[in-house]
Amino acid sequence: MKKFSAAISLGLALLLSCDTKEENKLFELMPSESTGIDFENSLSSSDSLNILEYLYFYNGGGVAAGDINNDGLVDLYFAANQTTNRLYLNKGNFQFEDITESAGVATDGSWSTGVTMADINGDGMLDIYISQIGNYKGLSGKNRLFINQGNNEFIDQAEEYGVDFVGFSTQAAFLDYDRDGDLDLYLLNHSVKSPEVFTSADQRQNPDALGDKLFKNLLSEGNIGFEDVTEESGIYSSILGFGLGIAVADINADGWPDIYISNDFTENDYLYLNQQDGTFSESLEKSIASTSRYSMGNDLADITGDGLPEIITTDMLPLAPEIWMKSVGEDKAEVYQIKKQFGYADQYVRNHLQLNQGKKGFSDIALFAGVHASDWSWSPLIFDMDNDGLTDIHITNGIEKRPNDLDFIQYSQQADPNLNPEQYLQTQIEMLPTVKLPNLSFQNMGNLKFENQAASWGLDQPSYSNGSTYADLDNDGDLDLIINNLNQPAFIYQNHSEKSGNSFLRVNLSANGYNPGALGTKVGIHSSEKSLFQHYSGSKGFMSATSSTLVFGLGKAQTIDSVSVTWPDGLEEIFPSFKINQTIHLTQGEGKPIKKSEKLETPSSFPQIPWEHREKNMLDETKREYLIPRSFASMGPALAVGDVNGDGLDDIFVGGAQEQSGALFLQLPDGNFEEKENEIFDRLAKAEDVVAAFADFNGDRNLDLYVGSGGNEHSTGSLFNSDRVFFGNGKGDFQFSPMSLPMLGENTSALALVDIDADGDVDVFVGSSVVSGDYGASPKSMLFINEGDGKFLDKTEEWFGPNTDFGMVNSAVWSDLDKDGKSELVLTGDWQGIRIFENKRGKEYTEKTAVGLEHSSGWIQSLEIADVNGDGRLDILTGNLGLNTKLKASQDKPVWLYHGDFDQNGQADPILFHYMEERLVPFATRDDLIKQIPGIKRKHTTYQEFSTIAEPTDLFGDEVLEQVAKYPVYEFRSGVYFQQADGSFVFEPFPDSAQLSPILSVCWDEESGTVLLGGNFSDFRVDLGKNLASAFSSLRWREGSWENQELQSTISPKSEIRNIKKITVNHRAFGVAGSNSGPLYWIKLD
Amino acid sequence: MRTVKFMLFSGILLIAVSCTKQVDYSQAITDGHYISEAQDRITEVIIHDIFSPPVATRIYTYASLAAYEVAASVDPEYASLLGQLNGSEKVIFTPSEKVYPPLASLAAYYYVGTGLIFSEDMMNEHRDATFAALREKGIPEEVFEASIAFGKEVGDVIKAYSSKDNYHQSRSFPKFTVTGEEGTWQPTPPAYMEAIEPHWSKIRTFVLDSASQFKPLPPPPFSTEKGSEFYNVALEVYNADINATQAQKDIALFWDCNPYKMNVKGHVMFAEKKITPGGHWMSIAAIASKAAGRDWKGTAEVFAMTGISLNEAFISCWDEKYRSNLIRPETYINQHIDEQWVPLLQTPPFPEHTSGHSVASAASAYTLAQLFGDEFHIVDSSEVAYGLPVREYESFSQAAEEAALSRFYGGIHYRPAIEYGITEGRDLAKFIWTKVDTKSKSVASN
Repeated sequence: MKKFSAAISLGLALLLSCDTKEENKLFELMPSESTGIDFENSLSSSDSLNILEYLYFYNGGGVAAGDINNDGLVDLYFAANQTTNRLYLNKGNFQFEDITESAGVATDGSWSTGVTMADINGDGMLDIYISQIGNYKGLSGKNRLFINQGNNEFIDQAEEYGVDFVGFSTQAAFLDYDRDGDLDLYLLNHSVKSPEVFTSADQRQNPDALGDKLFKNLLSEGNIGFEDVTEESGIYSSILGFGLGIAVADINADGWPDIYISNDFTENDYLYLNQQDGTFSESLEKSIASTSRYSMGNDLADITGDGLPEIITTDMLPLAPEIWMKSVGEDKAEVYQIKKQFGYADQYVRNHLQLNQGKKGFSDIALFAGVHASDWSWSPLIFDMDNDGLTDIHITNGIEKRPNDLDFIQYSQQADPNLNPEQYLQTQIEMLPTVKLPNLSFQNMGNLKFENQAASWGLDQPSYSNGSTYADLDNDGDLDLIINNLNQPAFIYQNHSEKSGNSFLRVNLSANGYNPGALGTKVGIHSSEKSLFQHYSGSKGFMSATSSTLVFGLGKAQTIDSVSVTWPDGLEEIFPSFKINQTIHLTQGEGKPIKKSEKLETPSSFPQIPWEHREKNMLDETKREYLIPRSFASMGPALAVGDVNGDGLDDIFVGGAQEQSGALFLQLPDGNFEEKENEIFDRLAKAEDVVAAFADFNGDRNLDLYVGSGGNEHSTGSLFNSDRVFFGNGKGDFQFSPMSLPMLGENTSALALVDIDADGDVDVFVGSSVVSGDYGASPKSMLFINEGDGKFLDKTEEWFGPNTDFGMVNSAVWSDLDKDGKSELVLTGDWQGIRIFENKRGKEYTEKTAVGLEHSSGWIQSLEIADVNGDGRLDILTGNLGLNTKLKASQDKPVWLYHGDFDQNGQADPILFHYMEERLVPFATRDDLIKQIPGIKRKHTTYQEFSTIAEPTDLFGDEVLEQVAKYPVYEFRSGVYFQQADGSFVFEPFPDSAQLSPILSVCWDEESGTVLLGGNFSDFRVDLGKNLASAFSSLRWREGSWENQELQSTISPKSEIRNIKKITVNHRAFGVAGSNSGPLYWIKLD
Repeated sequence: MRTVKFMLFSGILLIAVSCTKQVDYSQAITDGHYISEAQDRITEVIIHDIFSPPVATRIYTYASLAAYEVAASVDPEYASLLGQLNGSEKVIFTPSEKVYPPLASLAAYYYVGTGLIFSEDMMNEHRDATFAALREKGIPEEVFEASIAFGKEVGDVIKAYSSKDNYHQSRSFPKFTVTGEEGTWQPTPPAYMEAIEPHWSKIRTFVLDSASQFKPLPPPPFSTEKGSEFYNVALEVYNADINATQAQKDIALFWDCNPYKMNVKGHVMFAEKKITPGGHWMSIAAIASKAAGRDWKGTAEVFAMTGISLNEAFISCWDEKYRSNLIRPETYINQHIDEQWVPLLQTPPFPEHTSGHSVASAASAYTLAQLFGDEFHIVDSSEVAYGLPVREYESFSQAAEEAALSRFYGGIHYRPAIEYGITEGRDLAKFIWTKVDTKSKSVASN
């Protein structure tokens, strides 16, 4: 054995000497020979205990960091499953001593999971709490509380303290939730009850003896031990909870600790907000739109520097395309639907990074940030890995037996009459595939974008890694990384940020009362450039916990103006400036108290209209078109603003959803609105109104009303897909004019009004978005010429020539872009760029090629024309899909739509191809494709073969591909195309904050030079997911760049804004925003 | 009767032998052994490729039909089914003298069967091995080629016929929508799969006038009230399950015939696949043909007629399933009787009424009785490869009744679905035999 390790050391030495590059990397893997840490979580599967007998057999163990002997050096405690846990005393210089036995913290013969350290009894020494699996299939264990006796010795007093829980514990977190000065305990447990059978989400109300627990520490009451307060605390403690992750922080900045719990399987994650009265209120669905599905570990930490912690949760979405394409993905739409029916929240199989927007709730930006996929992941840790002042994210991953492999699921089983049931299951386990991958190290590039630096930082050793923690083990001002691996020695990585020239500040804390270690303290470091916040909360990541010394990377900063501290009891203090590159010690009571300034927000008054849009969809488009990427059933409400009764006040028409009447609201002189009843609106309620416009169509100088209908339910030509014209009488009455319009019956999406023939009346270009039942085909868009009396004729061919293909149109406007006195038609939509049709002579409109728009093709929903930069030329503003999506498009790597009847069975299918790395692969899964085109199964009989697809020809023959239409998308960013002097355009995207959600409405306010952006869309396919990250933002163009413009509004964060119009109410300028399945919102413009 | 057949057969063989002057390969294929082996392989591929019961039956039927049409083209005792079956036209095939008919029949079976499954390599591998073994028996290459060519010729006609049964189009028909209305079908644990083949009634029937010609009695009116007829039939399933004897459990498991049972343990899932109900009855057809000593032509006839009966059974049954769209016992019992109850068998992914296994078993048993007589000692070893024992029956109808009832013991069907299903299957098979004639009834008594 000795010889062997000597050989290894020699090998390592050679390796190190040969490969100097490794040494220069940010992190260096320290050999156990030098550290003395020889811990390995060795696990072997047996007939009696394996992944089929215990579902979390491969979840591994955690690691906790903490200075147990107060010598200023952080010690480490590793949890093991089938061997004993180990405690390593830090001797300095990256040398450790295994004192497990002498310290009395061995756990032979029992299965440990999580570990955390906290000073439970207020004696100034860290105690250790171990979570274990209780009596189960031959395992016997109970949770341990090792009370620190000093002299590096511990005694398990879990029973005495009343926390010797027997069950399935994952991890514990200590927090002073009632702020009585002592540390209470939240115990995270997991169920083992068949998670595959869905039951009503209401069942989370039923407490179970094995559910999560909250224990109150009785120390401040003068007693030893904990009291189970689960029942009265408001936390869920049911068998639905498959708790895998816990972290504590003050999420809403009210000075009280809140808790985030990640739950595996169907159950929602829990966001427990502290009610400041000894109870918690689970508030996840109020402020979070979607979470990870199989939520594993989590972390709460501030990334943006606003003092509000972001949330990261991990899941199991593979990163590598070849693994992704053969692994279980999102729930099929029908399963997703069932879970919703059972009452569960929206969950997607990927990591989530929830940006804390304060009162606006959280915005998941994982897809924007690029941290959504890290394979089968466990522990996420948000910390500054390179001390550049930006927090990075490290994620451990790996599972020894990989159950999400689709070939295993579908094809592995082979009937064998010679096997008994046990042997049969054993063979199945043996067939589970094995893939060992490196962990992920996401470097924060600024601007909330992250890039994996695992290789360049020296952190790319393949492993099955579970728990992880960080700590400054050598007190050199950077955070070293410690990872608990399965069947492989633990990784101890030394951080070499000290060589980077980046500065740092280390902070130690002493608090009052029974929590001298100051667990639960939040520290802010403030310099002129920015603020950084950290919260010492111990437990985080997965089954693991960090130490009490907070290490701030400061980048190139040379000074710190001040340090703010919020102590666990809620008191805030500020400490003066400190020198950088040192360790400071902050003691409660020695700083300057900060009195909380109660910010009084003057409540603004907004107009009110008690109308709410009620979306009603009779048809699920995905049943008809299985591969359609998005729905068109929720594009309303229609919204039009105009003075219909000639009193000089703006009135409003809102168009209802299917089975909902449109409504007209007349403005009264006092700024209130009064509904003007109209029976005809009720009678036409069946139509889904999505666009509307006021104009005088019949020449009587009163405003008339055009209402366009869509919804993608009714087939082309259907009555309720037909648009309608109503003539106004100038008093607020409108009469339906059934003969006004020629038959169209498409899914209307855009109305562009113009007097094209200069005869003094208003003509209309009517844009259509989609052929009902055939996404990807071009619906008919038409030019309606007004006969003068409000009767329109289809003159499309006359003006645009025969067979002009307008494509899928989402937005169309007339504008004299080139100032030649004649309006151009500007239109765009899914899978097409911004197209300009100009009038050269007579009635002839032809499409012109505009330089700079060649690569404008996207999923633009909304166009607005305005002179944004005041250069006298009209620019084109676009509301597009944005960047917070799985679909990534660029000029080099467009997203493609292939549309056609691939299998010649009479129905065309839309198939999206997108680039993953260098390969152009279908976005749909093999299962989804096969449902529409079974022949694909013949071409790729296994998922493995399917996963090797590198281009469309690997999926379809050339003869098929020749016959289908192909449309690229190059640009998903919303922004502005600035018109240049020569008529060409230059694109300037909106800032990242406006790329977090699809923008469905762009409204330009000329007076203030502000663009209003209304977004959010929840009707994408399940595998694209709902996108509700930003309902509203507003920007102003200032000196060559966009800046955020905070406007007061009533817009609710998760609402889906479809239409924004400007309106004057009571002589003040407002924006009025129509939301799908929601009210009318108001935005203050002056 | 046997003599007549033998003489005819010998005559053909004599010609073949005299023409080639080579090794006497006339006895290379005599009985249904090879086609039965080919069918076993198709069954394996169907299982591997995960075809649902209705689709699996379609595969067996067209492949068997191709094999049978070769037999009918060389033996006047057999009447071609082309021209008799809906949407088919009579075709007169004239095989060249070089054709060795049993090989052509086998080749036609492989050819059509392979065209209907996905994992072609699995089929081709089996075919190549079989053909190699046959070559060993001395069949000259030119005979081989001519036979394969003729098998393909007949196969192409069958393929063309199959291509017009609306199957291809139905792949893109709308997926099933779960309405969520009381009493209607909902996806069931653990895979919550969507309802399969909601448009199967739109597949062309071979013989029936329409999918709804043998519309069964409807299920009892839905009710959640205790003591109502519906509640009682559900309670009956529940009680039967919790009180099931080992013998009843054995029956349920033997006839499970679930081509896609999803096993789930935490994050680990894997599909456990067995033969379909149709596959099981095609296997019984092969077992009976062998026991009765049918030659290759008789075996092809048995396969074709059993396949057609099964095919009509699934169309008729699926028509009713999506008409009544009835909630499964598992869903109803979990909602109204016992939240924790899990049936012995995994609930298959489609509405309850009527029981597919009941309709299919009754239909195929009737047809097999027409071909062999109902009383027939069956040693059913169809499930041995899947780890289940052999079961023996004294008649086809006995086997069918047990198969039907197994769904009740298994907790996946209410009793009416079984009883009405048996009637539905028997009636439609009876109708088939009034409409279609293979002219073999006179020899069928055995």
